[in-house]
Order: sequence, then structure tokens, then C-alpha cells
Amino acid sequence: MYYKSILVAALLLSFSDLALAKNINFGTEVNAENVTKISTIMAQPDKYLSSPVTIKGTVVGVCKKRGCWMTIASDKRFENLRIKVRDGDMVFPMSAKGSQAIATGKLNKIEFDLERTKQIKAQQAIAKNEVFDPASVTEPLVIYQLVPTGVSILDQ
Amino acid sequence: MVLVFAVSGIAVNHKDDWNPNYQVTHKLIQAPVTKWHETSDEILLSQIFNYIDEGLEVKATYWASPTEFKVFLKSDGNITLNLDNHQLIFEHIEARPVFQAINRLHLNETHKAWIVFSDLFAGLLIFLAISALFMVKGKYSPWGRRAILVTLGFIIPMGFIYW
Repeated sequence: MYYKSILVAALLLSFSDLALAKNINFGTEVNAENVTKISTIMAQPDKYLSSPVTIKGTVVGVCKKRGCWMTIASDKRFENLRIKVRDGDMVFPMSAKGSQAIATGKLNKIEFDLERTKQIKAQQAIAKNEVFDPASVTEPLVIYQLVPTGVSILDQ
Repeated sequence: MVLVFAVSGIAVNHKDDWNPNYQVTHKLIQAPVTKWHETSDEILLSQIFNYIDEGLEVKATYWASPTEFKVFLKSDGNITLNLDNHQLIFEHIEARPVFQAINRLHLNETHKAWIVFSDLFAGLLIFLAISALFMVKGKYSPWGRRAILVTLGFIIPMGFIYW
């Protein structure tokens, strides 16, 4: 009976940090003193490719399966920036949605060819239940995402 | 340890059909045709809460597009309003703490020390498997009639690779 109580207590303690956690930090410390607005970065993203940047904003999307990305809302309406890590390097919780997050890392530029752009747009249209015409895509897609070295999710 | 790897192995194998870390449910609410207040988030929220239980505490709001407004709730849920078709989607997210914990272990998402520990455990399993071939003698030896089980242990995985 005594051993069973210890086992139950150990199990509860092992999961309690998941429920009670406040701020959640990943990787190295974020550079909270030197935040660049997402709208400033997205206005001239190529300017920010060479050195690390820190962004701050509301988490508006999280990878459901592996927690390997989060979308951070920009200070500008309808704009956001995705932060992406290799699977397992950092695991962002879905409960982060709606919380403020600070991320420090390097901006990464990904350029797709026209064929791949059509495939991506088609997948997005399916997800949104929209009609998609491949002929409407004439420009290859370029996306920017932040590959973070440190992330802090606030007020969990 | 075997249970950790076995149970999370099944969970992760089926991650395309089933989310092993969270239980996510959606409820679709069709609001009547409404003139949504697009210039004040506060008024828009009060309009939304006419169709969804009040008392839900708001964590943050976000305009994803000119026709999509999101409300993030403190109670691990969120509401998406489509201003075009007047549909509200209430998404509730509930963590599966036990699965989350064992999946993190299985996928080596915890401390580096865990990798050392699980390597040691894997080494012991290898020792167990190989030593079992030589430790049992006589009637139950794997070299007699039971060799068929050992052979199947090789054939089955090879079948999946080459077949």
C-alpha cells in the first residue's frame, strides 16, 4: 500500500509541470531587449537574412502533430511570420495559441518553382474548401520563416 | 520502458489518423445572416458570444484575413468566424498528458541524458535477445523445433523490406 502511494505521487509529480507551467522556454535565451516588428521585417525581408533577429507577437497557429512550428501574428493586420524548427528540436504546445511569444533566430528564405507553387496553392485551396485554378498562378512562391535558436512563450 | 515504447509506438504510427498529443474537437455553429462589426473587435466579440456560451474568457484576437476573425480563449479553445458565410467554428483542445509524456520520451524530445539512458536500455534488449538464443537448452532450446520462431523473426521483417 505504501509503495503504491509513492508510485501514484511520483506519477502525479511527473505530469504536474505540464499543467502548472507558466512561461515556457526553448533553446537559448531570447534577446527580448532587441525586438524587431514583424511588419518591419516583412517589408524588406531580404535585409534581415544575414543576422539574427528577435520577433514578438501573439501565437495564432501551432503544428498539431509534432509542435514543430508556430505562426506569430504581425503588428500589421492579416500578416504573420512562421517560426519553424526541425521535428523534435523544440515542441511547441497547442495551448500556446493566443499567448505572446518571443523568438530569436535567423530568417530563412525559401523559393519554390512554379510547379511546386501550384501544388502548394492547390493544397491550401483544398484546406479552405475553395475552388482552385492552376492557371491563376503565374509567379513562383517565396516564403520567409524564422528558424529560432530560442523561443519564450509567455503567460501560459 | 517496454510499455512506453510500445504504447507510444502505436500512437505515433497512427498520427495521421489520430492526434496522439491532443484531443481536438470542432463544433460548427451557423449564425443567421448578420452585419458583423468589422471596425471594433470588442463589439464583434459581443456579437460572437451571442451564439456561443458566454463566460468564455478571451486570451487574444486575430484577423487572419478580411473575412476571417479568430478568438483565442483562456480555456484552451478558439473560435473562428467566417464573415462571408456567417459560420462560427468552435475548436476545443484538450491535452492527453500521459500520451504527450510517453511520446516525448519515444521521440527523444526530452533531455540528452534520456538518449544515453534509452541507448543503455536498447543495449540490454539486444543482450536479452541474443543471449536467449544460447541460454535455454534442451526441449525449449531455440535450435530445435522452436527454430521456426527464430526464422520467422528474420523472415517477417525482411518480407516487409523486399516484398
